[in-house]
Amino acid sequence: MFIGAIGCEPLQLARVHLENSRSLDVYRKNGGYQAIKKVLDSMSPDDVINELKKSALRGRGGAGFPTGMKWSFVPKDSPKPKYVVCNADESEPGTFKDRYLMERDPHMLIEGMLIAAYALGAKTNYIYTRGEYRYLIDIMDVALEEARAAGLLGNKILGTEFGCEIYTHTGAGAYICGEETALLSSLEGMRGHPRMKPPFPAVSGLYAAPTVVNNVETLTAVPDIIKMGGEAYQKLGTEKSGGTKVWSVSGHVNRPGVYELPMGYDDMEKFIMEDCGGMLGGKQLKAVIPGGSSVYIMRADQIIGKDVRMDYEGIVAAGSSVGSGGFIVMDETVDVFESTKNLTEFYKHESCGWCTPCREGTDWLVKVFKRIAAGHGRPEDAQLMLDLCDNIEGKSFCPLGDAAAWPIQSAIKRFPEDFRKHLVTSIDSGVST
Amino acid sequence: MSTEVIKVNINSKEFEVPKGARLIDVCRDKGFDIPSFCYYSDLALQASCRMCLVRIEKMPKLQTSCTIICTDGMIVTTQSEEIEKAQRSMLEFLLANHPLDCPVCDRGGECELQEMTFDWGGLEERFIEKKNYAPEKYLSPMVANDPQRCILCKRCTRVCDEWMGEDAIEAGGRGANTVIGTYGGWLDCSQCGNCIEVCPTGTLLDGTYRHQARPWELAQTISTCSYCSDGCEMSLGSRAGELMRIVARDRYVNGHNGEFLCIKGRFGHPFVNHEDRLRTPLIRYKKGGKLIPATWDEAIRYTAEKLKAAAAAYGPDALGVVGSPRITNEANYALHKFATEVVGTKNYAATDAFSLKPFFDNLGAPLATHRDIRYAKTILLIGGEPEELQPLTAKQIRQAVSNGAAKLIVINSVPIRLVEHAAQFIHIRPGMENAAVWALGHSSNETTAAQKMGIEANELSALRQTITETEGDVVIMFGGELNAAAQMIVAQLANSFRADTRRVLLHPLPLYNNSVGAHDMGMMNGAMSVAEMLDATGSSIRALYVAGSFLPEHLRGREEALAKLDFLAVHELFETDTTAFADVVLPAASFAEIDGTFTNNDGLVQRVRQSIPPVHQAKPDWMITAALAAELGKDFGFQMSASAVFREIAERIPAYSGLRYPVLKDESNPVQARYNIVEPRDLSSALNELKQTVAALPDDGEKSNVTPRVGHELFKIGTLTDKVSQFHLLAAGNPRPDTVRVSPLYQITVDAKLERDAAVSGD
Repeated sequence: MFIGAIGCEPLQLARVHLENSRSLDVYRKNGGYQAIKKVLDSMSPDDVINELKKSALRGRGGAGFPTGMKWSFVPKDSPKPKYVVCNADESEPGTFKDRYLMERDPHMLIEGMLIAAYALGAKTNYIYTRGEYRYLIDIMDVALEEARAAGLLGNKILGTEFGCEIYTHTGAGAYICGEETALLSSLEGMRGHPRMKPPFPAVSGLYAAPTVVNNVETLTAVPDIIKMGGEAYQKLGTEKSGGTKVWSVSGHVNRPGVYELPMGYDDMEKFIMEDCGGMLGGKQLKAVIPGGSSVYIMRADQIIGKDVRMDYEGIVAAGSSVGSGGFIVMDETVDVFESTKNLTEFYKHESCGWCTPCREGTDWLVKVFKRIAAGHGRPEDAQLMLDLCDNIEGKSFCPLGDAAAWPIQSAIKRFPEDFRKHLVTSIDSGVST
Repeated sequence: MSTEVIKVNINSKEFEVPKGARLIDVCRDKGFDIPSFCYYSDLALQASCRMCLVRIEKMPKLQTSCTIICTDGMIVTTQSEEIEKAQRSMLEFLLANHPLDCPVCDRGGECELQEMTFDWGGLEERFIEKKNYAPEKYLSPMVANDPQRCILCKRCTRVCDEWMGEDAIEAGGRGANTVIGTYGGWLDCSQCGNCIEVCPTGTLLDGTYRHQARPWELAQTISTCSYCSDGCEMSLGSRAGELMRIVARDRYVNGHNGEFLCIKGRFGHPFVNHEDRLRTPLIRYKKGGKLIPATWDEAIRYTAEKLKAAAAAYGPDALGVVGSPRITNEANYALHKFATEVVGTKNYAATDAFSLKPFFDNLGAPLATHRDIRYAKTILLIGGEPEELQPLTAKQIRQAVSNGAAKLIVINSVPIRLVEHAAQFIHIRPGMENAAVWALGHSSNETTAAQKMGIEANELSALRQTITETEGDVVIMFGGELNAAAQMIVAQLANSFRADTRRVLLHPLPLYNNSVGAHDMGMMNGAMSVAEMLDATGSSIRALYVAGSFLPEHLRGREEALAKLDFLAVHELFETDTTAFADVVLPAASFAEIDGTFTNNDGLVQRVRQSIPPVHQAKPDWMITAALAAELGKDFGFQMSASAVFREIAERIPAYSGLRYPVLKDESNPVQARYNIVEPRDLSSALNELKQTVAALPDDGEKSNVTPRVGHELFKIGTLTDKVSQFHLLAAGNPRPDTVRVSPLYQITVDAKLERDAAVSGD
C-alpha cells in the first residue's frame, strides 16, 4: 500500500514514514509544535482566523465548508464556554485517511487542535473517534499524555497564559455520529440523533455552547498553514480550494493507498492510470466513486480524456464531488447494480431512524434491491427506485438521506444497462414478495 | 410573543402576524391545512415526520413549517404539485411498514394516520415487499404496545419527559428497527397513559380496553373527572349502558387539561358498572340484623320516619347531615338545604379532612387557573405532593419550569419528585409547614421559624427575594398541612407580594374532585366538623344522614362511633365500612350516570354529564335528598332536573351568580366562580395564634431524605380503584410475568388480588 505525496511536497504526510513518527520527539525534531509557538508568541486569535481564511482551506470531512469562515461564526462575546471538537468518526465507506493521520502523526492533530482552541478561546476540546477505531484512542491518549508532560497541554502552555485540555471519546459504531450535530448529541451522552439547524454548532453546539466541529484532516492542515502562511498554503492548490488534499484510494488499482495531492491536481485519469499504478490485472476502468460512498458515481468516459481536475470545482464540473476523498476505483467486472445494492444496505443499516424519508426510504430501497437480486425485478422498478430517491432527497432531516439517494440516482442514470440486465432477466414477470 | 406585527405572504395572500409566530401555527390559523404528526404544541420540536413541508421563497429546499419562525416579507407556498408529492410520499413511507389491517386495530376509526392517509395520501400502494415485523406486547398492566404501527413521531417519549418528568419510555434500536419501549422491564412510571392518549396510531393502546369496542360504537360524553381536585375534562365512551373507556383526546373534548389525564382518571372507571354496585335500597330493620332489599318508597318513608322521631326526641341538632367532597355541587347543595331548611340542624359537614373555609373567608387574590400555572414566572409550593395528589397541577408546574423557565420553590419535609425541577428546595423538618407560613407572614419571624424548621434563615430571605424580583405571575400553592391560621395568612400573602409588574395568584391543593364545591355549597359552615360529630355520637348526635362514606382517617380510632347512633342513613355505590352500620342504605348514581357540576381547585365550575343511565335502581344524590325532603313535607321544587338545582345554586350563592348550565356548556372556555376578594385583613391575631402553634412544635426531628416512590398515592387502593384489577397489580409492586408474554389481565386472574387486604385509603 502506498502512502505519500504526489505532485507536491508532503505536508500532511511529511512524517508518516519516519521511525517512531508517533512520538513527541520525532514530531518536534521535524518541525512539530513550531506553529503553536508562533501563534502564542506573535498572533492574536483574529490573526489565526485571518490566516485560515487566506489559506482557502475547506473542511475535509465531506461538505467542504470554508474553515476560516466556520471559525469566524463563533460569537466572541458569548459568556458560555467554547469547544473545539475533532470529528474522527471516519465512517464513510472508502475513506481511511484520518486513520493514518492519527495513527502515524497524532501530535499534528494535537497541535492543530491547540491552535484552533487558541483562535476560538476554547478551554475544553474533544476528539470523537468512531467506536471501531478503539486502538487510535490508545495512540491519541499516549500522545496527549506526552504533550501534557511536555507542557503542551493543560495550564500555561509553553509558559504562556494560554491553557486548554483535550479529551478523547469513542462513539459506539454509528455512521450518523459523523454528522456534526449527531456527534455532539452522542458526545453529550444521548442517542446519536442529528439536531435541528439552525442553531448551528458555532452558536449552540456542545452543551448548547459555541462549538467548532472539524474533521481530522482539516485540523492537521492548520499547523502548516500557520507555518507557511495562509497565502502560501492556498497557492499550493487553487484559488477556491487551497492546499493539499489526502485521498484514500481503494479498489481495482495496482497501488491503492493514501495519497496527498495538491488541490487542482491534473488529472484524474493520470492519477488512476499512472500514480496509482494503473488498473489491476490490466482490466478496463468502469467506474469511480471519487469522494466516499455519498457522492455520484462516475462513468469511465466521464474521466478518460476529460482532463478532470482534482479539486472541489473540477470534480463537480465532471459530475461528482470531492466528498471525503474516498476514491473507489471499479473495473469492468463490477456490476454497478450489486455495488449500489451493497451501499444502500449500508445506508439502511446506518439510518438513525429519526426522520421518515430516510428511515423508511432506505429500508424500502433495500427491499427492492433484494427482490430484484432474487430475480423478481420488474421493468418499472428502476423508475420506482428513482422516485423513492426523489422522495428522500431534500426532504430528510439531515444530509444522510441525500447521501443515500445520490449513489442510487447516479448509478441508475449512468449505468442503466447494469440495472436493465437485472430487470429483464426476471424469473417471472409476476409480483412476488 | 411580542406585539410587533410583521407581514407574511401565504399562497399569494398577505397576512399580518405577530413577530415570532411559528409558520405552521400561522398557516393553520389562516385556514391553510398543513398535515403533521410529530409537531405537538408545547412539546419540544422534533421535525422528524416531514409532513409539514412548505416552499419558502429564497430557500433551496422544502422546509418543515414547524421549525420556521415567520420573518417579515416571507413568501410561503403551502399547496403545489411539489408539496403534494412530498406529503404523499411521506405517507407512503409511513405506511410501507405499517400493517394495513385497520379493522383489527383499536385505534381504527380515530387514528391520525388513517385520517391523514385519507386526506393527503396516495391512492395506490406501491410497496409489495414484506413488512417488518415486531410482536405485540404489554409495556405495563395499563399500556399495550403494537410496535409495528409506530411512525416514530415520539410524542410519547416527549410527553413522558416533558409533561410527566418520568422518562419511562424511549426509543430503542436504530433505523427502520427503531421501536418505542422501556429501558427493560415494565414501564416504571405513574402509568398515566398519556403516551396512549397522544399516540396518533395504534402503537400504544389502552391495555384495559383492548379489543373491547370500536370507537364508532361508543357514545362520547364530555364530563369532569371524579378523582382529584384538578378537575380534568374527559370523554366518557359508553356503549349500551356500559362505560367502556375514558379518554381526553381533544377531538372529543377540549378542556383545560388538553390531552392530559392521570392513571385514575383514565383507568379508574370500572367501578361504574361493577358487579358489586348496590342494586336496590336496603333497610336494616333491627340493629345487628341484615340489610334487606326494599323499594325506594319504603326506604324513603322509613328514613323520614326515623329522622323525624330522632328530631322529636332529641331536638333537630341531634341530627347530623354529612355531605361529601366527591359528589356534585347539586348533591351538596340539596344536603345543605335539607339540613338547614328541612331538619333545621346546625350540625352539617363534608367528609373532607381539609376544610378550605379559613382560606376562602380571607381570600386576598384570585385563584390561579392551570393555564396561569403553566405561564407563571415563580411558583411557591408549600407542603403537598401534587405529583401524586393533583397530577395536572404537577404537569403544569413541570411545563412552567422546563418550557417556560419558571422558578419553582418547594417547601416540604420530604424531597418530593418535583424537587428535581425546583430552583430552590427548602427542606424543613416534618410537620413544620405552618412555621414556614408564619415566617412568610412577617420577615421578623424568619430566624425563629428557620430554627424550628431546621433550615438557614437566608433560605427564607432568598425565597422572598425570588418572589419580589419576579416580573409576571407568582402562584402560591399549599397542601392540606396548613391549619386555619396559616390558611388565613396564605390567603392574604398576595397583599405583601403584589406589585405593578407582578400578580400574585393562589392555588389550594385540596384532595377531592369537589372539595372546593362542597365548601362553596356551604357544607363546611356547620357547627361541627365530621370528626367532632363522630366523637359526639350517642350523646349530642343521635342520627346521621350521610352521602358517601366516612374516610378511613375519620373512622380510625373511632371504630365504635357509628354503632352508638340511633339511626344512620347512607347514600352509597358500594357496601363500605360505613354502610356496615347503616340502618338504611340508598343506592346512589355514580358521576357517569348523572348531570351536575364539580368545582375544581381553580374555582372552575365544570359540567358532569350523564353518559349512561343509572345502573340498577341508583338515583342521583340530590334526587334522593329531595325525595326525603318531600316525604318530610318540603318540596324542593327541583322536579326531575339537575339544571333546576343549579339555577337555585346560582341564585343563592354569590360566587355562582349568573351561572346556568348553558353558560358552562363549552369546556374549552371554562368558567371560574367569582369568589369575593376581601380587603386586606389585620393578620396580627392569626400570626399570634400561629406563633403559639410554632412555639409548641418540637425543636428537633429527622428530615426524610427519601424521595417518595412513584405511585405511592396514585396506586393506593380505595373504594373506587379497588374495582380495577390493574390497580391491585400495581399496588403489589407491578410484578411482571418473566417468562410468557401474556395479557396482564390474564396475569391478574392468576396471581393478583393478593394485596387486597392491605388496601386502606379514601382515594
